[in-house]
Amino acid sequence: MGSRQITEKSLAMLRSLPRISLANLRDNPGAKKNTKRGRGQHGGDKHGAGNKGSGQRMNYMRLGYETGNNPFYLRMPHEPYYKGHHLRRQYPPLSLHALQSLIDKNCVDVTIPIDISTLVKSGFYNFFPDQKHFGVNLTDEGADIFAAKINIEVQWASEQVIAAVERNGGVITTAYYDPHSLFLLKDPKKFFQSGQAIPRRMIPPPDAIEYYTSAENRGYLADPEKISQERLKLSQKYGYTLPNLENEPQYTMLCERKDPRQIFYGLEPGWVVNLKDECILKPKDKELQDFYAS
Amino acid sequence: MTSLLINALRRIHLSLPTQTAVKCFSTSSYNSNTLDITKKDWKFPPQYTKPREVWIENLDSIEEKKLGLFELHPAVYATVPRIDIIHQNVIWQRKFRWVSWAHTKTRAEVRGGGRKPWPQKGLGRARHGSIRSPLWRGGGIAHGPRSGKSHFFMLPFHLRIHGLTSTLSAKLAQDDLHVVRDLNLPSDEPNYIIDLIEQRNWGPSVLIVDDTDIAPRNLTAALDALPHVNVMPVYGLNVYSMLKHDTLVLTQSAAERIEERILCHLHSNTRKQQAAFKLDQV
Amino acid sequence: MERITSLLKVLWRPSTNFVRTRYHSEKTRIIKRYGYEEKLWSGGLMPRSLGKRLPMPEYRPLNPWTERRALFGQNDYIDILGSGELHPLRTLYTIPSWIKGVSGNEYQILLRKKKMFAKTGSPQVRPTKWKELEKRLGFLYRRLNRKTKTGFSST
Repeated sequence: MGSRQITEKSLAMLRSLPRISLANLRDNPGAKKNTKRGRGQHGGDKHGAGNKGSGQRMNYMRLGYETGNNPFYLRMPHEPYYKGHHLRRQYPPLSLHALQSLIDKNCVDVTIPIDISTLVKSGFYNFFPDQKHFGVNLTDEGADIFAAKINIEVQWASEQVIAAVERNGGVITTAYYDPHSLFLLKDPKKFFQSGQAIPRRMIPPPDAIEYYTSAENRGYLADPEKISQERLKLSQKYGYTLPNLENEPQYTMLCERKDPRQIFYGLEPGWVVNLKDECILKPKDKELQDFYAS
Repeated sequence: MTSLLINALRRIHLSLPTQTAVKCFSTSSYNSNTLDITKKDWKFPPQYTKPREVWIENLDSIEEKKLGLFELHPAVYATVPRIDIIHQNVIWQRKFRWVSWAHTKTRAEVRGGGRKPWPQKGLGRARHGSIRSPLWRGGGIAHGPRSGKSHFFMLPFHLRIHGLTSTLSAKLAQDDLHVVRDLNLPSDEPNYIIDLIEQRNWGPSVLIVDDTDIAPRNLTAALDALPHVNVMPVYGLNVYSMLKHDTLVLTQSAAERIEERILCHLHSNTRKQQAAFKLDQV
Repeated sequence: MERITSLLKVLWRPSTNFVRTRYHSEKTRIIKRYGYEEKLWSGGLMPRSLGKRLPMPEYRPLNPWTERRALFGQNDYIDILGSGELHPLRTLYTIPSWIKGVSGNEYQILLRKKKMFAKTGSPQVRPTKWKELEKRLGFLYRRLNRKTKTGFSST
């Protein structure tokens, strides 16, 4: 409240005024603009359509339409650069700068591993799996000022981003999720309320296997040995000393990874989360266990 | 009498640590006059403004007894009373449920009228093509109301919250908001309630809000005969009802619950609720 | 005496002047509106009904405290004051689902209605209603596309 104490004054004024009721309410004067066309002697003369003729009687064609001719804007041949773009996988971006600000604002808990559901829950990142969005692309904007030690799992990351995260002693993984799993990650509560068993995460499609198995991209299907080699290589390339993970106090947190078939941290496929009784139901049947273990 | 009470309260304020619920005996001439002074442990402490203090009243006697003092959060019970926002809320409440079923038939829907009633020329009569034209008696209606006209719209989430806080603030500022400890009545006579309202100078119509779904039997039995005194649970509270009834009576727990819900929304991420309304979201 | 008078008549004949006189009371007038009973009272005092009911409806004041009016608007803020899982639209039990929460012009609402009723038995059970719905949709489609100003048209 400002020094003028507007709230206090208006509340004090209300004390001496009649009781506010349905009968004496009104909007601010001039707040409502009547969009109805005028009637009466001169109110409804032309309704903005001008005097006679085309203005009153016809609709104009859409811009560029040439009554059936091949329109000018379509006459030139063009190279379809973006042909089939709506069929490709898309990764809505999140910059390191934005991630740092989320961490600064305490919207993201860095003491536990971060995945896409954490980012969505923070309220500052959103994506739509039904629109071919396959997860988050962590971009390198703000890589210089990024200073958080995190264990993050993203769906796409460039070399600079990997370097920026690892320079601070963090860990980054790129992991593939099929659209159904992404729906679960986007709104876990909705899925748990449906009472279904958590499904298995699907393996990546053929054209994505290469990305997610390569150690340079820190793919979740890559060999851990190779990844540690690549970490060292990258630190030499960018010229920073790689912090030793074994000496970190949060070593166990930083080493935590999801199973390639797992969707949620700490929850295995086949389990049912019962929100009402606050318990987890695990499959006991041999057949089910075999199915979800595969 | 009142000055004695106030003096006693001042002394209590000075001598006792805050943020504790204390019971003390005032030094007034009333015997066994227990005052309950609650200092709240705020989850979201009020900034810049002091909390509003209200008396906790009783319903178990016709005469008003002050049972204690209670603090209300200024962000909920003492915000800017925006009359225009209250008005917008009322308009929204009226409109979002309003479906107009008024219906008229057009000339195409009125039965018959397919034949030209008389030849175009030669009779000296006006030309007509159908006996169901809007000019004819018994003909169709031009530009009439068509059934299933919806007036639905959603008022933005925070305007609705502001509508609630504005109305609560205005009610409190105009002494039309009272906090009672509980809703226990000594009898189920409607006359008891009428006398009580008369005695305390509450308006004829009273809205009583509790935080449970089930009101005490004495209250419901008494209110059966009084259409202008109504009970509601906290989740049923709304701007329209608050304005329709002269006085709003909250139980202590209801006042706390309203405060907790609104403060929770004011201090959390409400992007989801603020998003534009989509028909498949509900 | 008789002779005198006859003589006088011969000698002096007074000049007579014929004056055409027509008095108001002697006028024969056409009676207009014969048998017409004046409905508007032009006499004094207020009209007395004399046993007949006056063509005025009985004044029945609205009861503002029927249960429906007294509790109007209940649960409209249930998403704020409740647990947050229920939208206020969900509490409008009396409104049919095809129009609940829908906003739009007549064409849009009818399209939705048709889409939702097409799967039910409505087209077979109420063929005339269905035909009129489709007829109206066709009419509105043509009117909106051909007679209304849209998009880039300046006027």
